[in-house]
Amino acid sequence: MSAVPSLVLVVEDEQQIRRFVRAALEAEGCRVAEAQTMAQGLVDAGTRKPDLIILDLGLPDGDGTHFVQDLRAWSNLPVLVLSARSTEYDKIGVLDAGADDYLTKPFSVGELLARVRALLRRSKAGGEIENSMQHFGEVEVDLARRQVTRRGAPVHLTPLEYRLLCVLLANAGKVLTHRHLLRDVWGPSYVESSHYLRVYVGHLRQKLEDDPAQPRHFLTETGVGYRFQF
Amino acid sequence: MKTSTDISSDKSEARWREYVFALAACGFTALAATPLREHLDLANTVMLFLLTVALVAVRLGRNPAILAAFFSVALFDFFFVPPRFSFAVNDAQYLVTFAVMLAVALIISHLTAGLRQRALEAKERERRSRSLYGLAKALAGAVSQEQVREVTRIFLRDTLRGETSLLLPDALEELTAIGEDLSTISLPLLYTARSAFNSGQTIVSAHVEDGDLRSLYLPLQGSTRMRGVLVVSVPLDLAHALQDQRPLLQAVASLVATAVERLHFVEVAQDSQLQIASERLRSSILSALSHDVRTPLTALYGLADTLVLSKPPLPEGLLDTASAIRDQALRLNGMVGNLLDMARLQAGKITLRKEWQPLEEVIGASIKLLGAGLQAHPVKVNLPSDLPLLEFDAVLMERVFCNLLENAAKYSPGSAEITISAEARAAAVEVTICNPGAGFPPDKLEKIFEMFERGTLESAIPGVGIGLAICRAIVEVHGGQIQAFNPAAGGACVRFSLPCGKPPAIEAESATEAGEMP
Repeated sequence: MSAVPSLVLVVEDEQQIRRFVRAALEAEGCRVAEAQTMAQGLVDAGTRKPDLIILDLGLPDGDGTHFVQDLRAWSNLPVLVLSARSTEYDKIGVLDAGADDYLTKPFSVGELLARVRALLRRSKAGGEIENSMQHFGEVEVDLARRQVTRRGAPVHLTPLEYRLLCVLLANAGKVLTHRHLLRDVWGPSYVESSHYLRVYVGHLRQKLEDDPAQPRHFLTETGVGYRFQF
Repeated sequence: MKTSTDISSDKSEARWREYVFALAACGFTALAATPLREHLDLANTVMLFLLTVALVAVRLGRNPAILAAFFSVALFDFFFVPPRFSFAVNDAQYLVTFAVMLAVALIISHLTAGLRQRALEAKERERRSRSLYGLAKALAGAVSQEQVREVTRIFLRDTLRGETSLLLPDALEELTAIGEDLSTISLPLLYTARSAFNSGQTIVSAHVEDGDLRSLYLPLQGSTRMRGVLVVSVPLDLAHALQDQRPLLQAVASLVATAVERLHFVEVAQDSQLQIASERLRSSILSALSHDVRTPLTALYGLADTLVLSKPPLPEGLLDTASAIRDQALRLNGMVGNLLDMARLQAGKITLRKEWQPLEEVIGASIKLLGAGLQAHPVKVNLPSDLPLLEFDAVLMERVFCNLLENAAKYSPGSAEITISAEARAAAVEVTICNPGAGFPPDKLEKIFEMFERGTLESAIPGVGIGLAICRAIVEVHGGQIQAFNPAAGGACVRFSLPCGKPPAIEAESATEAGEMP
């Protein structure tokens, strides 16, 4: 963590959940601000200038999608969404509106902190890939020379596979919805053709993962999208 | 109600009386003219008789008027033309008078009676359209099929003295009598009604066992489909009425069809409104339940986890307690999730978000999601490389794999390996998940997929026995089948199938390498 502790805004109506989230974040060295409604959350996001917002989707006073849309009109600060498992399809809306990641309730302190660290690191880095050499597992990607090697041997990727890999690398640690990936890699006319994306992610796993059936880097967020993890 | 013979004797008596009246009228004229004989010219007496014939024609119709014409000529000859009180005639000129008088009387009676007939017909038409209007109004107000039948029955009883049956199809498309016991309806009637219903043709038929009844079967043609059959039965001697009144009966049939159709649409509208309301209620209860149960569980799990991770660490005993609380909260969450899933599936209104995707992906996601739940059992995934894309709801299929893997982990000893394999058959892909261990009780291979059923009663292994029931429900909504078996080599297996269907084409990409991109 940096010298100035990060400020995290927790928008959550349930006191006991706020309590352990606050405890976990403070143990991590963050400062915590709390809001109990979405309306208050939006105001605090403007006045307190937090580094990260943790937003519960089950708040009684509103729709998370609107919250994120309003926020994105003037700010890029990262948003981590908390939601119940039964609402997979609400998550997609919020993520498409611009939220960065989500956690399914119930979640452990470890999971929460891992997501928070990843998001804070990303926002500190400004979302740019500063190093043109990327490593994960036994794979090395040279972005400048467009070369991928695994255990030192070159790996042949098609242009679309390579483009997909680049988008995933650039958003490492973040959930990307099917829609988002299809739009960025294939173009806007393909956003409903999710089978393309699934087949190509399968190709990347075949070529770059040790066990394609139990991937460690190209992770599936079932019903939502994919997440790349170093 | 009068019998048919009563009705016909009534009628002939009335007719007989008309003739008597006609004769009496002529006699009265003769009597009245007699004292005036001195003052009246014979030509004027003829006028009086012609007037009488005209009046008789107006009041009593054609035939009495013709009788009156002849009788007037006879009376005139007998009482007025000299020699009086004899049919003999002195002057042959009077024969001309008689001929003209008779001709004029007959013409008058013919014309007048024709007018009268038309007036009567007009009145009858008016009465009929008035009564049809009354029927239409009554049918428009009817709120049940029974009421429609009653209104129609009363109308046809009053207009035709007929008996009415209304036969409408039920949910199974079987014709059912409305407002009367089906057993009182004769089989031939039902069969004839059926054929009228199927063909849409009006059928006239006589059936014998109900006495001498003749029936008309009018199909009720609605705007979208046949709505039923209206059966009108009349005594045999009134059978001509069925023919004469066919236009009226067709009009009645179309009014009844409209009424029945209106009732049907009202019912459909009410049903769908009710269904929407109950659906809304159910899903709001489910989502409220899922939110209200999960919120405290999330807090419980998170707080326990905070205790486990607290610094400085808790003393040994307390640490164990805290992590036990955390694990139990997680288990409780799993059960709640399963129960809510089952409630949704059983409500039967689950919306499948089917998409074409590789099986491998959802298997990997399930293994990762279970994580610690697998209790250190490694999972070996054995999929053929040419497995086709399958169309399924990834979130639900993840539930299937999670439940099956969790189950396999629960019942396998130590850190034994769980295997997942798949095989493409002609029309379906078969997925098999096996674990070593005792296997399923052989007599319960079917029953374990039922709700709240577990392999071993009172076993020490936790669970409420809902997981496999959910798996079956999900596999079945995807059009597949699931079964359990114990392989000869030992252990337990669950195998389920997913139909292949026709995967969408993937456009081939030019095989240039990334490094050679323009």
